[in-house]
Amino acid sequence: MRSELKITGIKLIKFIVLVFLMDTGLGFVAKQLFQNQSTGKYARAQYAIYESTEDVLILGSSHAHRNYIPEIIENTTLKSCFNAGAEGQQLLYHAAMIKMILKRTRPEIIILNMDENFLYTSEIGHQRLSDLHPFYSDFKKELKPYLIIKNPYLDITMLFNAYQTNSTLVHAIKYYVFPQITEKGYRPLYGLMSPKKINEYNKNMDDCECVKIIDNQFVDILKDLIKTIKDKNIKLVMVTSPNLIKRDLKNNLSLKIIKEIARSEQIPFLDVLNHPDYVNNYKLFHDPSHLNNDGAKLFTLTVAQWINSLN
Amino acid sequence: MLFNSFNFLIFLPVVFIGYWLFYKNFKLQNILLLISSYIFYGWWDYRFLSLIMLSTIVDYFVGLQLFKSNKQGLKTTWLWISITFNIGILGFFKYYNFFIESWIESLKLLGYHTENNWMLKVILPVGISFYTFQTVSYSIDIYKKKLPATKDFIAFATFVSFFPQLVAGPIERATHLLPQILSNRIYNYANISKGVKLMIWGFFLKLVVADRAAIYVNAVYNHVEQHDGLSFIAATILFSFQIYGDFAGYSLIAIGVAKLFGLDLMTNFCRPYFASSISEFWTRWHISLSTWFKDYVYIPLGGNRVVKWRWLFNLFITFLISGLWHGANWTFVFWGALNGCYLILEAIVFKRRRDGIFNIVFTFILINFAWIFFRANSITEALYIIKKIGTSPGKLYIGSGDDITASIYAVLAIAIVLSVEIKKEFFNSLWSVSQNKVELIRLTGYAVIIYLIIYLGVFGDSQFIYFQF
Repeated sequence: MRSELKITGIKLIKFIVLVFLMDTGLGFVAKQLFQNQSTGKYARAQYAIYESTEDVLILGSSHAHRNYIPEIIENTTLKSCFNAGAEGQQLLYHAAMIKMILKRTRPEIIILNMDENFLYTSEIGHQRLSDLHPFYSDFKKELKPYLIIKNPYLDITMLFNAYQTNSTLVHAIKYYVFPQITEKGYRPLYGLMSPKKINEYNKNMDDCECVKIIDNQFVDILKDLIKTIKDKNIKLVMVTSPNLIKRDLKNNLSLKIIKEIARSEQIPFLDVLNHPDYVNNYKLFHDPSHLNNDGAKLFTLTVAQWINSLN
Repeated sequence: MLFNSFNFLIFLPVVFIGYWLFYKNFKLQNILLLISSYIFYGWWDYRFLSLIMLSTIVDYFVGLQLFKSNKQGLKTTWLWISITFNIGILGFFKYYNFFIESWIESLKLLGYHTENNWMLKVILPVGISFYTFQTVSYSIDIYKKKLPATKDFIAFATFVSFFPQLVAGPIERATHLLPQILSNRIYNYANISKGVKLMIWGFFLKLVVADRAAIYVNAVYNHVEQHDGLSFIAATILFSFQIYGDFAGYSLIAIGVAKLFGLDLMTNFCRPYFASSISEFWTRWHISLSTWFKDYVYIPLGGNRVVKWRWLFNLFITFLISGLWHGANWTFVFWGALNGCYLILEAIVFKRRRDGIFNIVFTFILINFAWIFFRANSITEALYIIKKIGTSPGKLYIGSGDDITASIYAVLAIAIVLSVEIKKEFFNSLWSVSQNKVELIRLTGYAVIIYLIIYLGVFGDSQFIYFQF
């Protein structure tokens, strides 16, 4: 038995060393691939986290990324601007991004584009945080509170370099092959909407607003985020992006709470969601909730002028 | 407790070390295995441990009575006590609501409207379908004088609740596992190494193949109204690998873990998608269940040693019950019936064994067609999917963002599995990584799989599909 145990021990050590070497080597390659991207969502996130020095930063989901043109904000407010919006991401991601950015720099204004559903329970919101795994080694303190919610073994999993980049590599390679050019973080959409296209979208919409539940953790995260920004003496403004079809938001508890928090914290809030300039204005939209370039120009100008009016 | 959880990552080494500390006394090892098995099961819901214990006590005493009874009538009575008890608890927990609901629905169809006050809030105990079948087979085997009843209660309880295979099989026979539990086990590096290798490959099948494929499959099958034929074809093919990865993965991990304790479990899967006929498929897929149904349902019904129509009926009824075993839903019953029909047609049309790539592909298509019923949320949805496949190919759903990553990883993982299995199936004598004489090559091969698991796997304590059965 003793000799068998000895063999087992030796082989186990050899195997662990091999796995460690492989993880270190290949993890290094994957990290290099990640860090050396010049375009795409990760390159934008890296720029915002490690390099941005702009006066105005825009954060939010695709509604931020596609609807805000930094150049217009710069021309109107005379402040430099970068759009750090990220498609498909929700409040957790934006909160984590802001924490990482504020560790290094202090913009003058943060525009947080609020989706009306940001406070509803969302598994996807947690899952997509994997986009931030590659930053974990540099921003452990900032990211841990968000990542640990769904992964109690975070520190163990993050020991593996492979785990840190396993969700991002495919996209990183995609951006090497098909670079994603942006204008200071803004990526325009083109094309017009039509009633016929609306029907197509409606067919594919998963309409389940009735069962949405408020996630109290998200509420706390929003409050904490506001406190962090205020503590740094940064001006925070919140905006909702316009929608093509008028939305019935009477029962949208998430939006109601967002507005209540903004009011109590005295955060300027611009609600354009059901604004008559945009509702049923097909020529301004690429799809029911994203503006095309013409719509983005009009919307960004409205936001920029509103920011000017706040001073 | 799930194999793919961190709890298990701590649980297994602790039990392993404790177990081999008692290497001189297999009875102490059995006690440790039994306690560990109850902890493993109780981690999910300790209340249902009482059910396993009750089943264990009943079959232990029934076994002893069966063994010592000389009168045939008395033996038959004891056997029926065991069968009624085990199938009774299975029927109550798994099928009670299903039959009540179906009964009320059928009354509605006949025009009688009845208030549905009979439904109960019953939780389906994990693994009940597996351990009840295992205990029933014990009683039947004693009745058939295939094995003597054991007097060692701890050994018998360990056989019933042995944690690697407790909740999702392989469904072990007492004739195979119990003698191993009743004898001394020897620590052996080769066995440990083999066990670890099986576990690694099992985790790859589960965490990479099944869980990655599940993301696309769920996106399509849970929103059928939003998709067209091409997406359903892609989702069904992915589901065929999802369920294979999930279940074969679980079985391999179970077999691997058992090897760490010096115990040998039966093979449960043998590259099923290379079967060239449906009958061959069922000799390669969930072998422990297929052979269980063969030995305890099909053969007692007469098997193929009867007139032809009765033989075909026996085939059909066996698969119908097998379908129902998989779940209390008409989709599973239909899936079982469809497989029964396949076998009947095969028995009528083909007289000789078929081989070749064409038959493998044809069998794979038939199996995939049946999976539609297995995976669909209802018969209506399954029929809708089939209609869409036949009439409206439409656009292939690709998804966005993380969904694309998941699909790419799933396809990559399936390609790896297929290449490994093609090699094993058709070119087994060729150069091999796992059997290579050079140690570094062997170790590197498995290190690569570990790396792929970490890189491509889904880590979220996801359930195994067969737990629900």
